[in-house]
Amino acid sequence: MTDLYDERPTGPQHVLRLREVGVEYRTPAGSVTAVSGVTLDVPARGITVLAGPSGSGKSTLLRVLSLVERPTTGGVELRGAGTARLSSRARRALRREEVALVFQNPADNLIGHLTVGDNLRAAAQAAGRTTAVDELPAQLGLPGTSAWKVSALSGGQQQRLSFGCALARGASVVLADEPTSQLDAASADLVLETLADLSARGVPVVVASHDPRLIALADTRFDLRNGVLAA
Amino acid sequence: MQIPWRAAPRAALSSPLTLLVSLVTALLLSFVVAAAVLHSSASGSAAVDYQQDRLCTDALHPSLESSLPQDQVTPFFDDVRKSVGDQPVLPASYTREARTDFGGKLTYAKFGFRPGATDHLKVLEGGGKDGLWVPKSITLTTDVQLGRRGMDGKLPPVTAIYEDVRDPLDPWWCAERQYVVPNTMRKDNDLVTSVVWLPDAASFDALPPSLAKVVDVSVRFPSAVPETVDQAADLLATGTARVQKYDDMGVRVMSPLVLPVENARETVANVRSAILPLTLISLLIGLAGVATVTVQWAQRRHTELRLLWVRGSGPAALGGRALLELGLPLLAGGLLGLGVAQLLLPVYAPSSALPPGTTPVAALAVLAVVVLSLVVTWATAAVRAHRVFQASTTGTRARRVLAAVPWELATAGLGVWAWLRVQDSGLATPVKIGGLPRIDAAALAFPLLVVLTTALVAARVARWALKASHRVSLWSKPAAQLAVRRLAAAAGPVTGVLLVGVLAVGTIAVGTSIAGSQKTALEVKSGMFTGAESVVRVADPVELPAALRGNSTVVGVSEVNDRMALVVDPATFRDGAFPHGLDPALLTRPLRVGTAPTGEIALPGIPKVAPTAHVTSFPKLGTAGWVVPRDLVEDPSDVGSWYVWSAKPLRELGDALSDSGITYRNGNERSRAIAGLPFLTIQWTFGFVAAIGAVLAVVAAIALLLAIEVRRRQNALSGAFSTRMGLRPSALLSSHLLELGALAAAAVVVGLAASGVSSGFAVPKLDPAPRLTPSPELPNVLPLMGATVVGSALVVLVAAWIAVRAVRSARMGELIRG
Repeated sequence: MTDLYDERPTGPQHVLRLREVGVEYRTPAGSVTAVSGVTLDVPARGITVLAGPSGSGKSTLLRVLSLVERPTTGGVELRGAGTARLSSRARRALRREEVALVFQNPADNLIGHLTVGDNLRAAAQAAGRTTAVDELPAQLGLPGTSAWKVSALSGGQQQRLSFGCALARGASVVLADEPTSQLDAASADLVLETLADLSARGVPVVVASHDPRLIALADTRFDLRNGVLAA
Repeated sequence: MQIPWRAAPRAALSSPLTLLVSLVTALLLSFVVAAAVLHSSASGSAAVDYQQDRLCTDALHPSLESSLPQDQVTPFFDDVRKSVGDQPVLPASYTREARTDFGGKLTYAKFGFRPGATDHLKVLEGGGKDGLWVPKSITLTTDVQLGRRGMDGKLPPVTAIYEDVRDPLDPWWCAERQYVVPNTMRKDNDLVTSVVWLPDAASFDALPPSLAKVVDVSVRFPSAVPETVDQAADLLATGTARVQKYDDMGVRVMSPLVLPVENARETVANVRSAILPLTLISLLIGLAGVATVTVQWAQRRHTELRLLWVRGSGPAALGGRALLELGLPLLAGGLLGLGVAQLLLPVYAPSSALPPGTTPVAALAVLAVVVLSLVVTWATAAVRAHRVFQASTTGTRARRVLAAVPWELATAGLGVWAWLRVQDSGLATPVKIGGLPRIDAAALAFPLLVVLTTALVAARVARWALKASHRVSLWSKPAAQLAVRRLAAAAGPVTGVLLVGVLAVGTIAVGTSIAGSQKTALEVKSGMFTGAESVVRVADPVELPAALRGNSTVVGVSEVNDRMALVVDPATFRDGAFPHGLDPALLTRPLRVGTAPTGEIALPGIPKVAPTAHVTSFPKLGTAGWVVPRDLVEDPSDVGSWYVWSAKPLRELGDALSDSGITYRNGNERSRAIAGLPFLTIQWTFGFVAAIGAVLAVVAAIALLLAIEVRRRQNALSGAFSTRMGLRPSALLSSHLLELGALAAAAVVVGLAASGVSSGFAVPKLDPAPRLTPSPELPNVLPLMGATVVGSALVVLVAAWIAVRAVRSARMGELIRG
């Protein structure tokens, strides 16, 4: 699988690269192709958006990019290293140290019974970081909420906190799946600000979305149609 | 430890229901295991107690008996006292019968001395402790006067006349029975008199040599009555060591505890091996319950687990997350289960006396079960995390394979094997006299295997039926249609509850039926064996005293080898004899019983008549013998022996006869007539089975209520929609009652049917004394059936109420918003 990368030299300008990635699911009705023959390079800086209508394969591709799901065909390279032959344990280690994934639903990104501060600390601990996270709530626009329960935050605040957790983890790349789809406009604005802020901090961000405002933020954009990268 | 794991125990508080269910599951699981350990050990204590009750408690410690010259008696006793040290010693010495002169007509008498003897006698005249105590029976044969010295003044003066010692004995005399109870029959030179008690050892030593040519001595060692097998074994071992020296010298050593200890140990082994299969099945069900709770927990914590997994945690760590949240309630439940098992010991076990070390063993077993539960919790969460997140499979293949395996065929095969064991050697004859019949644990498992197989078949059929239920269209009866759809939507929990429910009802019914049948069999067989509640032998066909009229009868017995005929009084026979379904009119003519040969009866004292009437069994005779009405007997003195049979206890019978001056011997009573330990072993085993059944019933009820509670949201949503679409509240309630009632009814009907069939086959075969009639029979199961139906109905009502309440209190908007 790694020989897919031999054709082109890897450079620091790409954090993630996909080569001929295909994903198929077995269903009672037969095999369903979610993504087919996708080849793309995610730049090491800026916001990359995977755009496309519902069912186009954005979320599937995001799961493959975040090493949560193995592609049926093709390969994924993270910071120049192939991942196809890695064991589950090694993929987990990579996820732990390099990748942060933000789910669509804000509550899915946080541990409900922990406080805001503990969520940030837990995220940092998961990545083996000892970074102090006390300043993060303020940086996220959530000052004085460290001791709050997550449920006390609004949806937008929760999603900002989710990105804060990604930040606390010191991940090499942050991936987000439709981060604004479950938020009202005001809350979505907060998330857009956070994404821009993350990007400004030099953290590469990959977002799957069909939100025009978010797409407008993109430094790089890939359009998906029916599981295939549009030209 | 990272924060999500560190905070896990506190996170458990966010779902009190999960906490409670984990705790109760562990409680029941550890209760079953602890109770199994405690029950089997307690059965040993009960076996010891039962056997001791049939022994002399004053001589449980090995004792000595011998015959010595008069001058060696005191040195022998002194030597024994010296050699046993601090152990209390109770010696007794008895002369043989010799012609004695008390100043009147010469009479036979024997003399004895046992320290404290006069404290255990009933004084009729006098009472001074410094002279001879003469039994009343001797005063009837010669002229005994207080103050007079017999044998030309060589005997101490007579200071008291006491009432002869007779059956039933004061326990203090029990071991001395052969020396102190006179033979009142006075036939065939079998003349043994009551004892003339001397005031002290010195006066016994000073008896004229003509009265004490040979002296029978006994040495008892009063000891605390053991309560457990270990205590009995200790007493036996230490006692045997104490008297070993005398055994080597040729002195007779009486060790009544040898066989009881062996039997009690065998009972423990029998009970343990017999309850093991059900305990293991219950353990598996309990562990499956723990796994189910963990799966539910994993569903509830899905988002958190997924987040942790995405952040790099592996299945093992996620299993640990489950462990940290559910571990504490499991541990607490385990401890509570141990406590409850200990507390309820008097309720479910045959004895509350536990050998030392039993509770620690039970605690170890509980610890093992708790550890096993923790391992199951960890493994379930880890495997599920692997399957859901890592392997990306739904696990349906494994589940399909597990569901397709015909487990019921395996259990049915085991059932057939157990049935062959019941047929071949379920209960064999004892290999030694007084020993227990071999009880085959595999044979005892037969009814349970039938119940288990039926439960598995019922669960499979239910699964198929629910799968096919989409074809059912009962919309003309919305309540029924809703009930069917709800059952089908929860096919997994429904089949699970049905499986446990059938097992619960079946084991309760099997346990109760077989335990009841053994109890009744022991009572009836004992009664048929003795013939009456109590029996004593009398010299002649006596006239019954007033106190015995209406409750006793006189029966003659003529016996040669194994042929026996009874001479009965048709008018009173049914008053005294053990209740037996016999037409009283039959007693007025000669009867042939069971397999006795046809033709004339040829037994001493019995008229040569050929009975034309026939009955299959008869008290005392069992299934072979003859019965002759008394008026056909020409000379009662030709009949071998005469007995008074009474429906009264032996003590009342003896008192009534003594008060009327009627002498008797060979007292026997139904409760002590036959060794009931094998019956009790089966009774205790199945009593425990019934207790486990009760636990399973609680599990089934909780599972049902939990299934309702887990589906509360869906039920509330669908119920709220249905009622807003015009379904009447009463129809909604009916649908829930139909749904839950059908499930409970299936469990009750299938469970009772399985237990009825299996017990029906097993009960007559599980007969520890097949040579005694009648065979065990199924007891009346109607009360049990009634209680089961009422209990199930209550659970159904509560569950339906919970379901309907959830609908009525539901806020539609909240439900839809999620």
